[in-house]
Amino acid sequence: MIEVRGLTFTYSGTDTPALQGIDLSIPEGQLCAVVGANGAGKSTLCYALTGFVPHFFHGEMHGQVSVGGRTVATTALADLAGEIGLVFQNPFSQISGARYTVREEIAFGLENLGIPRAEMPERIGEAVELTGLSGLEERSPYALSGGQQQRLAIASMIVMRPRILVLDEPTSQLDPAGSKEVFAALRALAAGRNTTVVLVEHKLEWVAAFADRVVVLAGGRLIADGPPAQVLAAADLEQHGVGRTRYTLAARQAQARRLRPPSADLPVTLDQAREFFR
Amino acid sequence: MTATLFIERPSGLHALNPLTKLTLALGAVVAAAALETLPSVLAVYLLVLVPLAAWAQILPRFLRTCVRVVWPFALSLFPIQGLFAEGTHILFSLGPFSLKAEGLRIAAFLTVRLLVGLGAATLLMLTTRPDHLMQSLVQRGFPGQLAYIVVTALQIIPGFQARAQAILDSQRSRGLETEGGPVRRIRALAPLVSPLLLGSLMDLEERAIALEARAFNHPGTKTSLTELHDGRAEPAVRMLLLVLILGIVALRFV
Repeated sequence: MIEVRGLTFTYSGTDTPALQGIDLSIPEGQLCAVVGANGAGKSTLCYALTGFVPHFFHGEMHGQVSVGGRTVATTALADLAGEIGLVFQNPFSQISGARYTVREEIAFGLENLGIPRAEMPERIGEAVELTGLSGLEERSPYALSGGQQQRLAIASMIVMRPRILVLDEPTSQLDPAGSKEVFAALRALAAGRNTTVVLVEHKLEWVAAFADRVVVLAGGRLIADGPPAQVLAAADLEQHGVGRTRYTLAARQAQARRLRPPSADLPVTLDQAREFFR
Repeated sequence: MTATLFIERPSGLHALNPLTKLTLALGAVVAAAALETLPSVLAVYLLVLVPLAAWAQILPRFLRTCVRVVWPFALSLFPIQGLFAEGTHILFSLGPFSLKAEGLRIAAFLTVRLLVGLGAATLLMLTTRPDHLMQSLVQRGFPGQLAYIVVTALQIIPGFQARAQAILDSQRSRGLETEGGPVRRIRALAPLVSPLLLGSLMDLEERAIALEARAFNHPGTKTSLTELHDGRAEPAVRMLLLVLILGIVALRFV
């Protein structure tokens, strides 16, 4: 469970707040997508949820973030590790560099947490399975493709069984097949393990298909929050620098050419588009 | 992609505990430093290190690496010692300079000493994974963060080399001239170094965050996925070697 109350944060050395008055409550097992234009405050929100704001990135912070009942600002990062996982865009810098095989790389976090050796193989196997890395366990992490490295970064987090997993554009370097695998893994993680997943993502088609909820940020403020079908089809989304799914765009063109009635709800997923054009 | 020298082989030497190999290497280095004649130091190389390399199934690679590591030192030792060491057996004179047999003997002796010292370190690196060596040291109180730096440096350097090459290629494709005279080469450095440096600094920040997120600074005892083999006789062998090393140091240097 994540609770954010009145969060405002301004990075040291800047005058403009990166986040302003954010109120957000995300229950266990929910896959919540965060969308917004560049500079909207998405990454800062990720850092605030994981404690890196204000422990690592300093600045002026107002309001409160609590995860599982613990106030993030007053809990040491070392104590949050394992409870809250973070995955970001660049897979190269997420590889520890201290391990020589994928299997050992995934085990790195478990070793740091002091998990007994006997427990490790089962947990590693589960993470490998969930992220589709089977067969690559003995490869060097540096010999993997960008997409495989990103899935390795996710596996390295979920093996620690965090209650909250925050991902900042984890599929930016993945092809469509790789992206789908990652989304499916995250969906399984949220549904099967009751893990709360917060996902910053630009690929709106996938967000619409896999997320339970979409939060829109613009200029550091939370401007929309709700189910994907409602938020991604909203009329004012483009004003805030957020695109449309290809299904919504096609439907709008059909409405403009009077091929479909203007009152019909706009689709955001493939299934909804099928229904819309039937 | 890694900068380590380690070569995987199903050998007995590979299977030894990293600490045993480290103690063996240390013993060879101390013996080379303590022995005072060229044949005795050479004997350590030929009768200890070479057979161990053969046992590890890496003899050709071991010999090649030794030659590569030692020859730059030999190249400077022979002329410097030959020309400037004290001696009366002059082999060759040119103006104020004279090449003396005593100097060449000293150079040969120092070269063989280096051959043993660097050869022992080479053998250790060829047969031991750096992370396993560090793991065994951390288990005996070596600082974990320092061990991390040592191990990652070996893996990350090739990554940075690849990034530098990618920047070089992309700048060339935009028309940057990187070949020619020294002035042109120096001028070409700025557009290569700045993105590399900035990219590396950003990487560093992300790497620090990634490590924190993976509980690197988590308090409490760390565990390990890999159980390092330690043969029944190995602790005794290590102890015996350490006693020998300390004995040599006490007799020879104290």
